[in-house]
This record gives sequence, structure tokens and C-alpha cells, in this order.
Amino acid sequence: MKIDFTVNGNPQTVDVPENMPLLWVIRDVLDMKGTKFGCGQAACGSCTIHIDGDAVRSCSFAAQYAQNKHITTIEGLSTAEKLHPVQQAWIEEIVPQCGYCQPGFMMSVANLLDKIPNPTDEEIDDYITNICRCGTYYRMRKAIHRAVQLK
Amino acid sequence: MKKIYSIAFLVIVSIILISISSFQIQNESSLKKEKSLASFKQMLTVIKHPRCMNCHPSDDSPRQGDDRHVHLFNVQRGNDNEGLAAMRCNACHQKTNNPYSNVPGAPKWHLAPIGMAWQGLTDEQIGESILNEKTNGGKNLEELVHHMTEDTLVLWAWNPGKGRALPPLNQAQFAKAVKDWAENGAVVK
Amino acid sequence: MKKKTVNRRGFILKTGVGLGVLLGVGVIACGPLRRTSAQKVDEGPPGYKNEYEAFIWFELQQDGSIILHSPKVEMGQGIFTALAQIAADELEMDFKNIKVVHATTAHGPIDSLSTGGSLTVSSLYQPLRELAATMREMIKMNAATIMGVSANTLTVKNGEVIGTNAKLSFAEIATKSTNWNLKIKESVLKSPKDFTVIGKPLPRIDLVPKVKGETLYGIDSTFPDMLFGSVVRPPVFGAIFKSAEVGNASNMPGVVKVVIEKDFAGVVAKSRVQAEDAKKALKINWGMPKKLVKQADVDALVKVGVGKDVKIQKEGNTDILKGEGTITREYFSPLGVHGHIEPNGAAAHFQGDKVVIKMSTQVASITRDEVSKALKLDKENVDIQSQFLGGGFGRRLQTPHAIEAALMSKAVGKPVHVFFERTEEFQNGVLRPPTHNILKAKLDANGTIEAIEHHTASADVAFNSSILANVFKPLSASLAEGIVGADFGAWRGGMIHYKNIKNYSTTAYHKELPFQTSWWRGLGLLANTFAIESFMDELAHQSKQDPLAFRLKHLADDERGQSIKNVLKAACEKAGWGKSLPEGRGIGLACSIDVNTPVAQVAEVEIKNGQIKVKKVTCAIDPGIIINPDGVKAQSEGAIIMGLSATLFEEVTIKDGKVIPNAFGYYPIAYMRDAPEIEVILLSSGDKPRGVGEPPIGPIGAAIANAVFNLTGKRLNKIPLQMDIS
Repeated sequence: MKIDFTVNGNPQTVDVPENMPLLWVIRDVLDMKGTKFGCGQAACGSCTIHIDGDAVRSCSFAAQYAQNKHITTIEGLSTAEKLHPVQQAWIEEIVPQCGYCQPGFMMSVANLLDKIPNPTDEEIDDYITNICRCGTYYRMRKAIHRAVQLK
Repeated sequence: MKKIYSIAFLVIVSIILISISSFQIQNESSLKKEKSLASFKQMLTVIKHPRCMNCHPSDDSPRQGDDRHVHLFNVQRGNDNEGLAAMRCNACHQKTNNPYSNVPGAPKWHLAPIGMAWQGLTDEQIGESILNEKTNGGKNLEELVHHMTEDTLVLWAWNPGKGRALPPLNQAQFAKAVKDWAENGAVVK
Repeated sequence: MKKKTVNRRGFILKTGVGLGVLLGVGVIACGPLRRTSAQKVDEGPPGYKNEYEAFIWFELQQDGSIILHSPKVEMGQGIFTALAQIAADELEMDFKNIKVVHATTAHGPIDSLSTGGSLTVSSLYQPLRELAATMREMIKMNAATIMGVSANTLTVKNGEVIGTNAKLSFAEIATKSTNWNLKIKESVLKSPKDFTVIGKPLPRIDLVPKVKGETLYGIDSTFPDMLFGSVVRPPVFGAIFKSAEVGNASNMPGVVKVVIEKDFAGVVAKSRVQAEDAKKALKINWGMPKKLVKQADVDALVKVGVGKDVKIQKEGNTDILKGEGTITREYFSPLGVHGHIEPNGAAAHFQGDKVVIKMSTQVASITRDEVSKALKLDKENVDIQSQFLGGGFGRRLQTPHAIEAALMSKAVGKPVHVFFERTEEFQNGVLRPPTHNILKAKLDANGTIEAIEHHTASADVAFNSSILANVFKPLSASLAEGIVGADFGAWRGGMIHYKNIKNYSTTAYHKELPFQTSWWRGLGLLANTFAIESFMDELAHQSKQDPLAFRLKHLADDERGQSIKNVLKAACEKAGWGKSLPEGRGIGLACSIDVNTPVAQVAEVEIKNGQIKVKKVTCAIDPGIIINPDGVKAQSEGAIIMGLSATLFEEVTIKDGKVIPNAFGYYPIAYMRDAPEIEVILLSSGDKPRGVGEPPIGPIGAAIANAVFNLTGKRLNKIPLQMDIS
């Protein structure tokens, strides 16, 4: 199936099986490796991207539904000149350890801050349900509050 | 005197006839009611099945699975029944079941409004809640039948994807039960 | 094209007492000697065998920067940063100009063991300093040649070689030098008091690429024209591949080839989903076990008194525990999974008689040996190129998928990427073994422990692992096990460290399970510490003593005992031990010592809707010389949260040969909402760095359980801890 969409502002056309998860389209067809595969069951959040402004777990998003959508991945979160406040905060708090889950977390957090510019700790608990096995949550929370200040 | 007798006779006969016909009318209506109620009981086997019940919780947490456990990841209802602001249903649920992630999907995946909470209600209360336009989203009987027989999210119950049990009636049987129930007076008690 | 401007140099690692040497003694050992060796394993990093040679390279680049080829892999523990800091100090150059990359097996004989055991920094600290100092002297010698002066007149500072009248930058020296085949007789190491880079909380060197999503992990590996492979894995424990019927699989969309090998079948296709789809169409004939494993089988096997028992520690006589007045308690922990977020996989490119494999592995050289054996290739022709690891935790010490990828690539004549689905990670990975502990003790009238016994039962951790076999080359694995006696991975953390007690002993029981269990961060450390430290807490309360004072009085005054006392005091002081707590809050304490690194933790808990909620953890750790304070803090925070997750939530059980559950979510790993506030206090004693990655996972389970007792009066003895809310 031929599908047209934009990724980080760039128009893309791919020809893939209609149910191929968008995750694999991004990773294997477009060769953008920042979006990670963790579980393939929408349970860990490593593959989180933005589709038309909503955070979506791309392992559970069939390619056919990407038609005409605007997609943002971790590679498009910042511009060449400026890091996204969430990324800047992540650097200032030295959040990542292995780093594998972090793109998904940053995409989820960026989306949270788009919708709730100054979240409470309780809101952070409710909205951020990705998994980090290195256990960087304590620093992430500090980084989320810092990102609010940086915005 | 004879005339009086004959009048009295006529009156008595009339009364008897009227009684009989009234009895017949009454008999017919109670039959309809029974039919409707029987259909409703059939409907309940589906309504109370996890495929329907999971999205009609009485609190803010959707349920999952045949064991109706609380939806993982602390998923919550949100203001519009489609999840919290940054934790939307459509983060994972798309328009169709996903064959790879096995995440179920149907157009406009969402929770039934809190007014349509069924969890913890008696059969009768479920019925009343379904019929009450104040709680059922302003649906009249016709719209209600449409929802239960044609709404894509309801129809999903018969195509729930791998590893999810089907309701005890098939979709045609359920649709017939709903129509019979409505045609016979939409009786719930 | 990488251009080597420096000749490859080999350096012999001379680290402390190696496992090999110790256990060489053990061959003729009777009980006490074996115990001595067990004690040494517990106390110090096993390190390398004396004859072990590690070749580590620096590459001086034309721009004056230096590439360090790390023999150990970066899996989040921050070693690339620590190694660069260690090197920068001796190289007298800007830390930012050192780039660390993974050495590949073709690059030189790299680490023959594994990245694990919290050993990287402690084992490489000294050799890397020597290596860096030698490199610095070589640069200086070449500068002297270029300048036409004697090297004695030169000093190195800030990436420049400075003479009396002139100076040369590393970049100029790199450009102008022609001969790097230099013999360095002597290179003087800096005194630790002169360190300028070691000890600084520098941001980790992989930070920015990781935040930008640019870092490439094993599963991100590609080759041009690469295809995707999917392997059918056994559906239950004990199922053995017999044969496969191709059926319709080879005609399915995108399928390039159905590959049937001696011990597995799989599909190579143009995309992952096509390979996965076609895999489902294969009909596999499995040789099924006579009986499917059940949880009850596991429970019956891992039990104190069952299996081979080895006394790993003994002092005085604990016979009085057979009499009256003995307090006896038991503790349990379940099977668990690693839960690394990056699934395992490997990208292989087989060409002619060579294969290149890019992957995440903690055992690159063992993987190379296994691939070379399976494909009958010379070791030199197998290049394992380690990539960044999306978590390790011990899961990447088993890498048979490298062989699968290599065989599939060979079968189709193109590069192939093979990976695990998440359900396969659960069912076909390796599990953390369960534990059962029994502790017995007797207190005298003064509330002093007269005698204590620890009995710890578990399954394979080190045993049956390729690493153990490698340590004991050329001994056979079974002989090696005979020498080691008990599985030192399983009983890790199981020794009694309260040496003021006159009579104590620890006995380890081992039984192999009918499925593979293996290393998990800290190995037995979390479960064994949970048992010992819960018991110590109970003894303190039974004799109405303060848990801190009770521990302090049973610790010896020797260096080791003192180091534990110090962390206990530091953590308690910071946490305000003895302070009045808010309503509904409990506080608990625990300590451990692992690879010589003592750790104490104080946990504060609340209970909400029957759920234990950890609000704060205060941790004191003394890892010796600290290379990067922020890195030590990060590792401590991470270990606390991983240990908290295991303590409160995680468990798998076995049902008819299957691992239940087999998905994230249903296997509940701690989320953001579960993470407490964490404060880490760093102590630094001694003149060497010790391990950091695992030690801080030790006390957390007991600290939480003890805090729950403090709050509720209930003693929970089973991980995952669950309040009985009925």
C-alpha cells in the first residue's frame, strides 16, 4: 500500500504492507533509528512518537492510518539550532543511563507539556507510563520540572 | 318485566363480552411484556460480558481482558471519555485491531460515559440506565437500537482479536434480541 | 577508514588476587580452604587471571583527539565516561577530546570474560592508568624527536607537549610523527592527589547523543541490503526442535527463504513483519518433554535442605542453635526477568569464510568463540562488533542468537538481522532464580547474638554459564563447579558480615532447575540481603534494641566492619534516624557489602489502599576512589529503583512449561509513580575504586520490609512484598 505522510516536516511516500506497524516503517524503511522497539505491545512506550499532535505508541499504529498525517519523531523534536526544552532539561539533569527508553520518554513528556504546561507530580505520575529499567525516574521527574522552567 | 329481564340479560352479556375482550387485551399485553423481558435477559448475557462491561465501568478506570482486570498503565477516563490529556485512548487503540501488537481497535475507541456505567448494577438498574435518556446520551429507543446493533465500537465485541472471548450470543442473535426487546415494549422488569 | 597512527600495544593486566589463582589452591582444598576461596570471591572482585592479557588501544587522531577502544561495553553504567576520565588524567589532555568506542573482537583479543560483576572500573583502573601514561610518554618522545630536544626537558599539559622554548599540540605531533614503534621503559603515574579529571562529576560522554536519539544500539544495527530473520523458538521449557514443515511459508509475501538448521527453523524476509507472519505458517515438530514444568516443581527444588550443600562460611561453633531459645525465620524470593528494554538481536553479514556481527552483548569474545565453533570458522574470522546496550542486567551474557543470525546470513548470502519478540524474551530468555533462606540465631541476656546460621538455597547463576567455563579454561565446567563448590552467583550477599558475632556459618544449597536461570543485577545480593537484614531487624526488635545500634555493635572494628559502620552512620544521620515521623509513615534500615563496597539504605514508606508506597530512600555508599561522583549517584539511584521494583512487584511463575506472565504491564516493572525521592551520600575510603553497579541493589528490599514492619508491626518475608488486606 502507498502511503503519504510527513515526518519531521519532510514529505514521505512509502509502499509497505498496510498493517505494518509505523514503528518499522520509521526504523527500517526510513532508517531513522531514534524511535525504539521495546515490546511491540504498546506496553513500554519506547516507540512513542507524535501524530498530529498526540503521543502515539507507534508499534501499535498500522501504517495505513498514517495517510496524510504529520509525524514527529525524536529526531525532529529539536531544531538544528535549538534543543527542545525537554531535551535540554534531560541534559542538565543527566537523566539517561543506557538511554534506550529515553527517546520515548522525551516524546511522551514533550506531549504532556504541550497539553499541560506545568504539570503537578500527580499529573506526571498519571500521564507518564513508559518503562525505564535503569530506573532514571527520579531524575526524569526533576528534568520535567526543569523543562517547564526552560520553556 | 320481561323487558327488564331482557335488558338485564343484555347488560350482563355485554359485561361478560366486554370482560372477555378486556381479558383478551390484557392477556396480549402481558405476553408482549414477557417476550420483551425474555429478550432483555438474552441481551444481558452480552451486556454483562467482559467485551461490553470493560468499557462501561462505574469508576474512571477501563477494564481489560476476560477477567476484567483494571486497565494496565493507570489508564483513566479523562474529561471526554477518551483518556487523559496526554494519555489518550488513541495512543494505542486505532481504528482496527492491530495484528502485531494485538492491541484491540475500533473507530472512536472510548469509554462509555459515566452515566452509562453498568458495573455493580442489578439487571433492572442496567435496563433503566439504558432507557434513561438523561444517562444514555439522549438516545430514544430507535437510536438505542441503532447503537446496540450498528455502532462500530459495539460491533467490535464480535471481532475482538486474538485471545479475547466472544459474547455468548453471536451478533445476529444479539441484534434480533435487541429488536425484539424494543418492538415488544423495551421492558426491563 | 580508520587510520592507525599508533602501533597496537599489548599490556599485561596485573590486578589483585585472581579467581584462577585462588581456585588453583582450591583443587586440593578441603572445607576450610574452599571457604577461604569463597570468602575471597565475596570480598573482592574476582578480577582477571594473572596470565590474562588484555590489549587495549589508543588512537591518536590528526586533530589531536584520542580514541579509546574499550574492551568493556557501555550498558548504561557509565563506564565510557569513567574510562575516559581515568585516561585523561594520565594523558594530560582535555577529557572532551577523548572518544570512547567499543573494541571489536577483530580489533584485538579483548576482554575474555564479560562486562559485569561491577568489575569494569575496579579492574581497569590501574592498567588503564599505566596504559595512558605510556601513551603520554610515547607522544612526548615523538615531540622530542620533532623538536630535536631530549624528552627529559619536556612536560605534557592540556594536550600539549611543552619545552623550554616551544610547544607542540597533540594534533601537530600526530601529523608530524612517523614512527610509533617506541619502547617506553618507564612511565610515572600521577599521585591521586594530583588528579584533575578523576573525581569530577562530569556529564557522561554519551549524554547528548542519547538525548538526541542518535546513539545506535545492537538492535539498530544495519548492513547495506540487509534482510530480516525470525526464528521459531520453543513454546515451552524442554521442547526440542526436531524438524519443520515449510507449508505455505515460502510463498508468503516478502519471504526470501525458509531456513531450516539442525536445531532451529526460521524465515528470512524483506521486512520484519513479513518474517514474523511467515514464521507463524511453519509447522514445527517439537520433541516434547515427558512432563511439563510446574511452579510446584520449582518450589520443591529450591528449598533449604534440598540439593548439594556447601558451607561457604564458618566461624566458631553454631551447635547451640540446636537447643532451646533459638529464633528461626524463613524468607522467599521468586523467579524474575531482566526486563531490559532493548530486545536481544544480532545483525550478521556472512561473506566467504568470514562473518561480521553487530549486536548488544556483555560477552563479545565468548560470543565470538561460540559462533566460530558453530560455523566452523577461525576465531580471527569472526568479528563481534559490540554496540551500545539498551540495558544489560545480566541478560546479555547468553547470546545464541548471534549464531542464528550468522547461519541465516550464510543461508541467504546477504546480511540478516534476527531479533527477539518481547514474549520470546520472557519465555526463551533466562530467568533470575528463586531463593529460599532460613536464618537461625540465639541472643544472650544482653541482646548480643551468640550464634547465627544462614541457609540459602537457589538455582544456577554462575553454574552452567559460559563465563564460568571461560574462567576455568582449561578445566571442565563440572570440575570447575567442584572446585568452587557452591554457586557463588547464587549465594552472593549471603555471607554474614557481622564479625563481632563469635559463632556464625552460612550454607548454600544448590539445585539445577529444568530451565535456564542465570545472572541478574547483583545476582543473589538482593534476596540474600533481604533475608539477613530482615532477620537482623527482627532480632533487634525482639531484644528491644535500636536497629542501628544493634547492627553497629555486631560489626567488627576491622577495616571491612568499619566501612560498613561508616555507611550505616552516614545514611542514618542524613535520613534523621530516630526522628519523629509524619503520621502513617514507617522507616527501615538495611546494609550490605558487595565487591568490597559497603552500602546502607534507609527507606521511608506509607501504605495507601493496601499498597506499599516508598516515599524516600537515603543511601550511603563507599566505593573507594570515586571516578565520577554523579555516575556513582546515578548507579545507586538506578539500583534502588530496580531493587524496589523487584521487592514490591515483580514475579513470574511457571505453568505447564510456560513463563507467566509474558508481557510488560502484566509483569509489573516500577513506573514513574512508584519512584521515591532518593538521596545518595558518597564516602570514599581506600586507594582503589571498587564496584558500583550492583552493590546498591543489596539493602533496598530489606530496608523497605523493615520500614513496613516499623509502620504496621507486620513482618513480610516474601518478595514481592504484599500487604494482606483481607
